Amino acid sequence: MKNKKQLLIAVLIGLGFVVLPLLIEGYWIRVISSIFMYGVVTGALNIIAGFAGYAAFGNVVFFGIGAYSTAMLMLRVGFPWWGGCVIGAILAAFFAVVVGFPVLRLRGHYFAIATLGINRAVEQIALDWGSFTGGGKGITLPLPQMEIQSFYAMIYFILFGLLLLTLLTNFVIARGRLGYALRAIRDDEDAAEASGIFAPSCKVIAWAISAFITGLAGGVFAYWFSFIEPATVFDIMIAVKAFVMMMLGGAGTVMGPVLGAFLLELISETVWGQFLTIHMLILGTIVIGVVIFIPRGMLHLFRQRFSLSALIRNIKNQSI
Amino acid sequence: MQTNPIGRSEKALVLQVLLNGIFLGAIYANIAVGFSLAWGVMDVINVAHGTMIVMGSFVTFFLFKYIGIDPFLSIPFSMAVLFLIGYFAQRYLLNLVVKVGIFLSLILTFGLDLVFINAVLLIFTGDYRSVTPSYSGSNFQVGGINVPYIRLATLGICILLTGLLQLFLTRTRTGNAIRATAQNRQAAEIVGVNVARIYSVTLGVSAALAGACGSLISMVQSFTPFEGGFFIMKAFIICVLGGLGNVYGAMIGGVLLGLVETTGARILGTGFQEAISAIIMILVLIFMPKGIVGSKYK
Amino acid sequence: MALLEGKDLSKFFGALAAVDQVDFQIEAGEVLGLIGPNGAGKTTLVNLVTGVYPLTRGELYFEGRRIDGLKPAVIARMGIARTFQIVKPFPGMTVRENVVVGALFGKGGAQRNIKTAFEEADRWIEFVHLQDYRNDSVDRINISFRKRMDLAKALAMGPTLLMLDEVMAGLNTKDIEEMMALVRRINRELKITLLVIEHVMKAVMGLCQRIIVLHHGRKIADATPQEIVQDERVIEAYLGERYAKARQRSA
Repeated sequence: MKNKKQLLIAVLIGLGFVVLPLLIEGYWIRVISSIFMYGVVTGALNIIAGFAGYAAFGNVVFFGIGAYSTAMLMLRVGFPWWGGCVIGAILAAFFAVVVGFPVLRLRGHYFAIATLGINRAVEQIALDWGSFTGGGKGITLPLPQMEIQSFYAMIYFILFGLLLLTLLTNFVIARGRLGYALRAIRDDEDAAEASGIFAPSCKVIAWAISAFITGLAGGVFAYWFSFIEPATVFDIMIAVKAFVMMMLGGAGTVMGPVLGAFLLELISETVWGQFLTIHMLILGTIVIGVVIFIPRGMLHLFRQRFSLSALIRNIKNQSI
Repeated sequence: MQTNPIGRSEKALVLQVLLNGIFLGAIYANIAVGFSLAWGVMDVINVAHGTMIVMGSFVTFFLFKYIGIDPFLSIPFSMAVLFLIGYFAQRYLLNLVVKVGIFLSLILTFGLDLVFINAVLLIFTGDYRSVTPSYSGSNFQVGGINVPYIRLATLGICILLTGLLQLFLTRTRTGNAIRATAQNRQAAEIVGVNVARIYSVTLGVSAALAGACGSLISMVQSFTPFEGGFFIMKAFIICVLGGLGNVYGAMIGGVLLGLVETTGARILGTGFQEAISAIIMILVLIFMPKGIVGSKYK
Repeated sequence: MALLEGKDLSKFFGALAAVDQVDFQIEAGEVLGLIGPNGAGKTTLVNLVTGVYPLTRGELYFEGRRIDGLKPAVIARMGIARTFQIVKPFPGMTVRENVVVGALFGKGGAQRNIKTAFEEADRWIEFVHLQDYRNDSVDRINISFRKRMDLAKALAMGPTLLMLDEVMAGLNTKDIEEMMALVRRINRELKITLLVIEHVMKAVMGLCQRIIVLHHGRKIADATPQEIVQDERVIEAYLGERYAKARQRSA
């Protein structure tokens, strides 16, 4: 937040979102809830991928862990949804710590692939361990005991709150010691260690925070849809979309990832409605376009004042 | 152990499983060799490789069903079509971001994958397809072991393709240019290699291999436009096992995975198989980052 | 007791001995030079001290405590800082942010919050005369400035021992003079002990009270600058056997 004016705008926008459910109809409430959720997942991804530079393509595994934990705790143990969510998030963070120490030693695409493998492995376990997780049939959660429209509105606000939490977390990290440590690690891990940064701990902490928030999102998702199965909550497309959203908005910034999530998910939803059969085509083209033209993200583009010639020059410079 | 309907000896059963493993492994090896070419030479992890395989299957399907071309004879066609796709994708899209970082090209190939899947979906719909020439299912017996003709021919062609690739890389000018660029791009540029063209050819060759693979696979199992993800996961695992950018490593890794999977399926049943493969990959990544076979390219 | 002491240090990469049975000490307050032909093992030695490479054999002591086997970050926080031969800035950050990393995570960094760390960073940026470029992104400034920034970052770590790895390389005459003045100030005003790896003889002779010479990983000389220049083995190492023999015959 650079100055008072920006803060004011942000607060106004925030208030706008609070009031919105009164003005729009159910479908759009669910669309925007979905956008909030992607904002959370992307913002969480930003902590490990944007700040620390570790491309956790499999981060969606924490979403799944959160979803399954919440579902099973609600169904088998009778926990309230928020209890299940928090415990699910803690489990996800714990998993990140356990797996993180060995796996975060890998660099570059090896780390990315390892996380994909982890997601795949956990998804398969969820599929195969039918007795525990319900296998391919999934889990049906106890339905909420309230009128459906109120329920959706409640979900809207829960996710909005979660989004604010995510933004706050990003903000605090960016301004604090951890943020500087992570960025140094991203830029040059050896030089970072030579400066006194304990890279392994910092990375694991970052991933645990990312996992916790992603786990929360997964838990809310489970409660929201009352039904989960491995293919949905471990879906690699969620991770891919989150990555593209992060890049679109600007990886490593505070607002960027969330803005990217808004933009892409909004486009995705409107396109889905109109052009069902070529949905993937359009999404794919957007992805390609973002990578070629806006790799540093929209925020970066704003700073360069949308200069088309600069853009073309950039592309020429970096082309083979 | 399951019952033995034909009354074969146990030894024959073991050999059968091993043979099946090798057949499967040959296909896996081919998948990995093409995938690892792009990765080893250009640091491009082509996530669309799996879908390129599927596209090869569809080319064969189309030629077989509507024009009546024998699947094995359709292989040059699928290779040609995929070569062009790969070449142009690299030339006009990937070459723009390759220098910047691995992740940009990775995400770009994700985007390409989406486009390819949707394109195939539009043309062929999402129905399950298969290619069944007159000789599918025929086999001959050797000492109690079943050897399907198609599988045997597939094995032969896989070996042939790998051999041709090796020859191409070591004996032709372009092949040597590719290897040189893989080792040191700037040095290759200085001695006059047109890196943009070489990269495009590399992805073209990689795609062509995928196409051939798809043609072979089309006769073995049914497929939809969405099979790509399954193949990609195999490719990752094999490349990690066999070491990156290493043709021999990919071959060995592929056969190894094929054997592990068929024996594993025999012993454990098909559950948890995928999970085990994924976990093995992660363990290998952590403890043997250079893969089982060893270090980098060339 | 020496500030830094290495006993029988050896580092093998496979069969290659990069550092071979080297004994050395650095006394507090000294400026020790480390010279030798390319590939002699100078940077490797620094990497051994900072914990980047594990020792194959030998022991390292800093302020009397054993430090071999400790992680680089631990050693950095104990008060050993270094610059890099090929400058390693953090490209995504500004000059100021680069230096603040040193202030946040070096010795004494744990006590600082972001605000005081920035104040500390500003102090060192002024010390190296880079205040006009504080907020510039590092990929926009030239090599001489980047070297000074590297220096400021190392100083912000509050080190007791500072190791400069070819800090003069790539600088023109005027820059070398300025850098030498800075190094002298660091030693005399800030009382920081220095290890200086250099090829630029002017700097070595002008700054160091004592010089160690490495050749093929072994220490072949350890003496004052004047003695080093006359030492037969050093001349042979730098200029070759034939030149040394010719000199001997004509002497």
